[in-house]
Amino acid sequence: MIKVEDLHKSFGELEVLKGINEEVKQGEVVVVIGPSGSGKSTFLRCLNLLEDITAGKVYIEGEQINSPQADIDLIRQETGMVFQHFNLFPHKTVLDNITLAPIKVKRLNKKEAEKIAYELLEKVGLKDKADSYPSQLSGGQKQRIAIARALAMQPKVMLFDEPTSALDPEMVGEVLGVMKDLANEGMTMVVVTHEMGFAREVGDRVLFMDHGIVVEEGDPEQIFTNPQEERTKEFLAKIL
Amino acid sequence: MLADKMEILKESIPFLLKGAFMTIELTTFAVVIGIILGTILGLARVSHNKLLNGIAKAYIEFFRGTPLLVQLFLLYFGLPNIGIDISAYFAAILGLGLNSGAYVGEVVRSGIKSIDKGQMEAARSVGMSYPQAMQYVILPQAIKRVIPPLGNEFIALLKDSSLVSVIAVKDLTRQGRLIISRTYESFLIFAAVAVLYFIMTFIMTRIVNYAERRLSISD
Ligand SMILES: Nc1ncnc2c1ncn2[C@@H]1O[C@H](COP(=O)(O)OP(=O)(O)O)[C@@H](O)[C@H]1O
Ligand SMILES: [Mg+2]
Repeated sequence: MIKVEDLHKSFGELEVLKGINEEVKQGEVVVVIGPSGSGKSTFLRCLNLLEDITAGKVYIEGEQINSPQADIDLIRQETGMVFQHFNLFPHKTVLDNITLAPIKVKRLNKKEAEKIAYELLEKVGLKDKADSYPSQLSGGQKQRIAIARALAMQPKVMLFDEPTSALDPEMVGEVLGVMKDLANEGMTMVVVTHEMGFAREVGDRVLFMDHGIVVEEGDPEQIFTNPQEERTKEFLAKIL
Repeated sequence: MLADKMEILKESIPFLLKGAFMTIELTTFAVVIGIILGTILGLARVSHNKLLNGIAKAYIEFFRGTPLLVQLFLLYFGLPNIGIDISAYFAAILGLGLNSGAYVGEVVRSGIKSIDKGQMEAARSVGMSYPQAMQYVILPQAIKRVIPPLGNEFIALLKDSSLVSVIAVKDLTRQGRLIISRTYESFLIFAAVAVLYFIMTFIMTRIVNYAERRLSISD
């Protein structure tokens, strides 16, 4: 599904990703953990080309996305992204947030787009909020709408960048619940999160990143209970 | 004595009003040019195309860094000198419009820059192209932020339009000076001219405030 070969990313002089090799299978849920500044967001953002890739190759379904011939807008349609700070469009209603891209990008008519949107609102449990504006929603609700917005483009992969870390604790569960449902439906997901419960329950594999490389990876149970690398142990000691 | 002055004022009013309408007309055309040109310049200033960006920057710096009066002279006296004929009326609209475009360009640029980067990223992440993201996500939000500074820009433009009186356009200021050259009532007439300018800017301020309030309701 996703294949990453020797991925490097620099911001000017600063090398943030120093050679990442990974493969994510169809339907797999990969959880990325690691200290702040280790390059987790940058890694995720390279997967949908929100950052341009300095060196290396990224393939999605066999197609190299960082080649000059690749259609970036098309690639982004197929990789949904959920951000830490939601980034809903504040000037549009919930319904319009969800239908905007299907209408403008996929050229669906309003009716088709709204049908999909209502199904997704049902799925994230916010059907009654269709006509609300983002400013009228709680953080947890905003994030569930953001997930619905990404799903409306019917992506093949979903990328989550710390989707619950800007939320009040009591709202974390509702968002993780939606993500769990999605995983159970077979969505391929790459999730940056420090929610260990989620990682254990839903994750198929955990990557521990530090200083721009994947230091250790493996089965969630193994990483959390029996990490091999010193750096992983130190990090887990801090957050658990 | 007082009755004489009242009589002069009364006779002057139709001319002054005619001038005021000319001022409004010039300002309106200049605002239209300013908005169109300024939007293009503002978009160029935030684009990653270095050439476009550089051209827009040079344009804005030139028009903001030179006096409007000199720009008007350049158009009205300078162009005919190199073989391009231009009427005073057209030179006035063009001068005010080109000048206004530079200021509007800066306002549009900072309005776009003030929108959180996450908005562009979210729009791109669902597959929108850069122009689509601008059109449907960034600009609609930026418009709300630029209304107040744009309003101030256009009020300043209306006042600055009095400069066109020196290139023989019969705006409010020019009409005032013509009346004074016949009546020698400088104080009375310039006071009337000032009052008319004030009424126009006063109304414009209310319109801008109203627009600002209307736009903030939908937040
Ligand atoms: N646009 C950018 N320009 C310059 N440096 C950046 C940029 N984005 C991220 N960085 C730097 O890259 C490093 C990794 O950042 P990030 O991927 O956000 O880490 P994480 O998500 O693991 O906290 C940090 O040192 C950060 O300061
Ligand atoms: Mg991050």
